[in-house]
Amino acid sequence: MSRPPSSFPSAGEPGAGWFGLVPSYRLATFRTAVALLTIVFHVPKFNVFIYDYTASAFHVPPAFAWLPAPTPLLGVLLAGLQYVAAAGLLLGVGASVSAWFIAVVGLYVMLLDPEYYSHNGHFHLTLLALVGCARDGISLRRLIGGRDADARCPGWPERLVRIQVAIVFFYAALDKVLSPFWGFSGRRLLALQMAEHGLGLNWLQRLNQAAARTAPTLLSVGTIAIEFFLAAAALLRPLWRVGLVVGILFIAYLEFLVKPGLFTWDMLAAGLLFLPAGDGGWQLPFDPHCAACRRTGALLLRLDWLRRLRESPREHDGGALRGTPGLELFSPRGRIFRGFHAMRILPTILVGPLFVVMALARFGGGFLSARGLGSWDVLPYVLLAGYLALWIPGVDRLLERPLLAAFGVHTERARHLDPPSWRG
Amino acid sequence: MDASPSGLSGWRRRGAAAFIVLWIAVQVLVPLWQKFPPPDFRYRWARYSWGMFSSIGPRYEVRLFRTRGTGAEEPIPEMPRYVRGYRSPEPMRMRAIYWSEDEVLDRLARLVAFIARDRHDGYTYVASVQWLGGQRSDRPERSELRVQAAE
Repeated sequence: MSRPPSSFPSAGEPGAGWFGLVPSYRLATFRTAVALLTIVFHVPKFNVFIYDYTASAFHVPPAFAWLPAPTPLLGVLLAGLQYVAAAGLLLGVGASVSAWFIAVVGLYVMLLDPEYYSHNGHFHLTLLALVGCARDGISLRRLIGGRDADARCPGWPERLVRIQVAIVFFYAALDKVLSPFWGFSGRRLLALQMAEHGLGLNWLQRLNQAAARTAPTLLSVGTIAIEFFLAAAALLRPLWRVGLVVGILFIAYLEFLVKPGLFTWDMLAAGLLFLPAGDGGWQLPFDPHCAACRRTGALLLRLDWLRRLRESPREHDGGALRGTPGLELFSPRGRIFRGFHAMRILPTILVGPLFVVMALARFGGGFLSARGLGSWDVLPYVLLAGYLALWIPGVDRLLERPLLAAFGVHTERARHLDPPSWRG
Repeated sequence: MDASPSGLSGWRRRGAAAFIVLWIAVQVLVPLWQKFPPPDFRYRWARYSWGMFSSIGPRYEVRLFRTRGTGAEEPIPEMPRYVRGYRSPEPMRMRAIYWSEDEVLDRLARLVAFIARDRHDGYTYVASVQWLGGQRSDRPERSELRVQAAE
């Protein structure tokens, strides 16, 4: 499987404007991420609310007196339909209607009893409503099919999500400036209920608690500054790159510190909309005569939901095929990554599947851990630490040979065929 | 999506533009209005205004039971009908992340009044709240709500 170079027309995104067309794959990847979170967290949580409400004889008055209370039968129906809609959202079948349905049901549940309100739920429903506005038209099958790369859709829904991210961070920061518990006092940090972690990670939480006790003002002002910066970065395109890095670090820290349910994961999903897509900027040279290379290429194209990879035939050297040094990637700026270094950079390109793996590790691990089946809740941190360990100087020499043995079937031959300038 | 190369046009474009303006206006103005409500426009923490982790919600422990005659505490029968997952008269630890003390007490007052009305057995239904932290300084450490059921 290969994508023809002509599948990557210049997107011309910077000048696309509110009503211009943008690559559909970014919105489709974002929708898939939101759908996954909806299935593993949002729908189960809200279905429990619906069950609790219909099973209870006592209710407080709803937010609006005219709002009808659900009967047990309607509750069962809503709960079932929420799963059907979430599946549609994930598969990309009736995605817009499905997203709006879950958003409206969620709003209805929150209005029934104000106790069901949470910032997590509020933000997720907001994202679902904006997903409902999107018309990416990419099914899950097509997204992971990897063949096409030139689908386009109106870009205004993803612009609205970016603005929404800015609004949320701006108001969160503004609140902290004016709150007597933040500002220069930092009292809120001392009262923070930090999450417990297994596998010896609790020492990091104790370190955080000590830092909060020692320098609450510094942490409070730092948090406010970061939130204001993230609000600005979401609006200003030149700040996207650094904003993404700061945002991911901040969100990951927040998740580790307090595990605030869905909020951090929704923010990470929204982060997908700040990434380039549909540009085929990364070249993936391949040898058309090597079956293993074709298989690896096909797999990578399937994982490339943002359509950032483009296969290109390897150059020939004096009529014979040039050496095949395992995996090779040419970055959009012309930098060449080979072997271990190429594998190490792949997760930053294949961010859609990476998000799915991390979210499943987080919520699947949390599910197992909550049932006393071990410290599975630390799984995402183990995965993250494992990945970051790959960037420690010297690790490449340690891991290159076994990794290439696993992924590059003719490494040895490649080394013999490589021109001398490639070996050093 | 098979859109035209130039993107949206005609009534779709106008509809989308109206939606965008409305969406941004609501998302900007509603939290602003909630944080700085009239008539004094002074800041206050508000629930629906993206004030994550900005306030310290009160922590409390609540017990629900009934008494009669001697004043001995008795469990409320069929308690899961009223509050799922709670076993009367055991203490239940709660944190009002999005609620004030007054709202917590209002909800509990409605609950015991409802139970008393529902059971109409002459018992006195009680919600006993012990504030554990994060509450207003003028609030007593313990609050008790009692409702006598008719027979």
